[in-house]
Amino acid sequence: MATTIEAVAVVAGGLLRQRSGRKLADAAAAACLDRAGLTGDDVDLLINTGLYHDRNLGEPALAALIQSDIDANPQDPHPGGHGTFSFDIANGACGMLTGLRVADGFLRAGTIRHAVIVASDANPGRRMAPDFPFAPAGAAIVCGWHEGPAGLAGFRFGSRPADSDLFRALVGFEHGRNRLRIEQHPDFADRAAPWAAKVAAGLLADSQLTPSDIDLVVANPLTAEFLDSLPAHLGVPRDRMVTADTTTPVHTAGLAVALHEAWQDGRLDNASNVLLVSAGAGLTVAAALYRPSVP
Amino acid sequence: MTAWLMMERSPDGDRAPFVARVGSVGRRLPETRLPTDELMASTRHRTGVDLERLTGVQERRVSLGDEDSLTLAAGAALDCLARSHNRAEALDVVVGCSITKYRDGLVQWLEPPTSLAVAHAIGASNAMTFDLSNACAGMLTGVFVVNNWIRQGAIRRGLVVSGEYISQLAHNAARHVRTILSRELASLTLGDAGAAVLIERAPEGAPGISVAGFTTVADHSRLCLAYPARHERGARMFTRARAIHEAAIADTPTLFQEVLDASGLAIDEVDHVIPHQTSVRAIRKGMSEVGDALGGAPRNPAVVTVDRYGNTASTTHVVALAEELDAARLRAGDRVALVALASGLEIGVVLFTVDDELVGNRGNDD
Repeated sequence: MATTIEAVAVVAGGLLRQRSGRKLADAAAAACLDRAGLTGDDVDLLINTGLYHDRNLGEPALAALIQSDIDANPQDPHPGGHGTFSFDIANGACGMLTGLRVADGFLRAGTIRHAVIVASDANPGRRMAPDFPFAPAGAAIVCGWHEGPAGLAGFRFGSRPADSDLFRALVGFEHGRNRLRIEQHPDFADRAAPWAAKVAAGLLADSQLTPSDIDLVVANPLTAEFLDSLPAHLGVPRDRMVTADTTTPVHTAGLAVALHEAWQDGRLDNASNVLLVSAGAGLTVAAALYRPSVP
Repeated sequence: MTAWLMMERSPDGDRAPFVARVGSVGRRLPETRLPTDELMASTRHRTGVDLERLTGVQERRVSLGDEDSLTLAAGAALDCLARSHNRAEALDVVVGCSITKYRDGLVQWLEPPTSLAVAHAIGASNAMTFDLSNACAGMLTGVFVVNNWIRQGAIRRGLVVSGEYISQLAHNAARHVRTILSRELASLTLGDAGAAVLIERAPEGAPGISVAGFTTVADHSRLCLAYPARHERGARMFTRARAIHEAAIADTPTLFQEVLDASGLAIDEVDHVIPHQTSVRAIRKGMSEVGDALGGAPRNPAVVTVDRYGNTASTTHVVALAEELDAARLRAGDRVALVALASGLEIGVVLFTVDDELVGNRGNDD
């Protein structure tokens, strides 16, 4: 028995399409539920892991607004129904895997039947984030719990606080207004790849696996350099990496974008051991072992 | 049993072989006291509002820039660890739950997460870290997550921590509030505090955390919104206080009853209720409504600290828990209900039993 990924959905913002972080999250969550054959009422837990949204809202949790927008049991408690619990997780580009870890615990305990993990980022607003570096995008993952061996089979997280200055996102007062500034050191990707590989090696060891057992690596497309150097550090052939377009990087939704690509290309169909790995500010790495199908 | 709340209760057999307990609590309060009359004397407009009479808030602690979200959180975390038998290196997870994430003055750090900086500051070198945001229900949501992981044996112990440098919202509000109808009135009750609670696996047979249940009534999600200010330092918060109070009063009794049903208790078997601290009047009215609906009352009046500390956002329950332990008002065996009520609209209850160790590790030295 394990937590299974029932559906993945990705929504890209563009020039003509909406660029609100919240609306991208709404659209991704709704599309993902639809793909999973579920409705808002089926959602027991909704976790938002996106960071940059409209006006840099501080409270409530953006997840509560998304819950309202997708009509997931938003009403006052009443007999015969059940509610939805919503909150946000912030863990940089490792947010989605952190959200999956949290959902996995509640699914494992039988507390919930379905969880939606959503992530989106977009420029928070006019003149609020000059040089905002990320492409507007939203993504969602719907999870459930199923009998049988397929599903999420373990997690590992690790941080290197010594490298915490390599990626920073700060909202501070400058030129008469509060502005978001995202600072990324040129060395960030170089430092992230070996650290990601080290955490992933620990995860594989937990399951008595070696790099040769990994059929597919799904990584958040931090930068092109990160994706280029990761296979060598992991000891996994390059053709087992899912490559996502990194011309304009997608931030917290990045892991789901890569997972969606693998899903669409049919690369999950025959994979036994999939390594999900993210690296982000901290320097923090999150890794999970996913078994879409077990022979 | 169909419950509206997303809820876990102990014991629950194979799917959760362990029970979690509240191991220790810590807090850090800034030294400076800001009396309500002094704050109200600083308003730009003649408001005619008697805030102290309206809310019961006499004073709050404020940072004068000497503390920020990180120093308050780290200070509380060290206080919590000093009262625990656990060392920082033994923590499996550190969850940061504050709304404010100010460091180096009024700079809000969105990445890396505050939890990582706290873990680094206290020496929790082996801990997984992440931040969790759920308005004023943040810390109790963190307890809910850590409780779940401990119950399954995924981890042994975790630290849930928050530092709220949020009094600057009151200073911003003081420039804008004109009348009692202002949506920034609630901002004037805010105070600064850091809080930390260590949750760990309980010895076999110990009652620990017996029920934790939460829900989000998202039809009311837009009743309290906070943003970075457009042209001022820090942030502003806009609250439709009456509407949020009415929704809370309408929804809380049903949900509290679900927690009691899950634990097999009647309301008069709960010794202490620590509600979120918004105003003395709101707490008394809310508890009275819960009592009427549930046909009884907890054994003691609801804990009130808002008169001394104001509304310290996500830290209120743990600040109050430390206060009650320090004052020796909690005894081993007492059942305590922590009741979250937050923008979202988030409603949650954590029900736990105080044990000897928790009573013993906070002396009267705070």
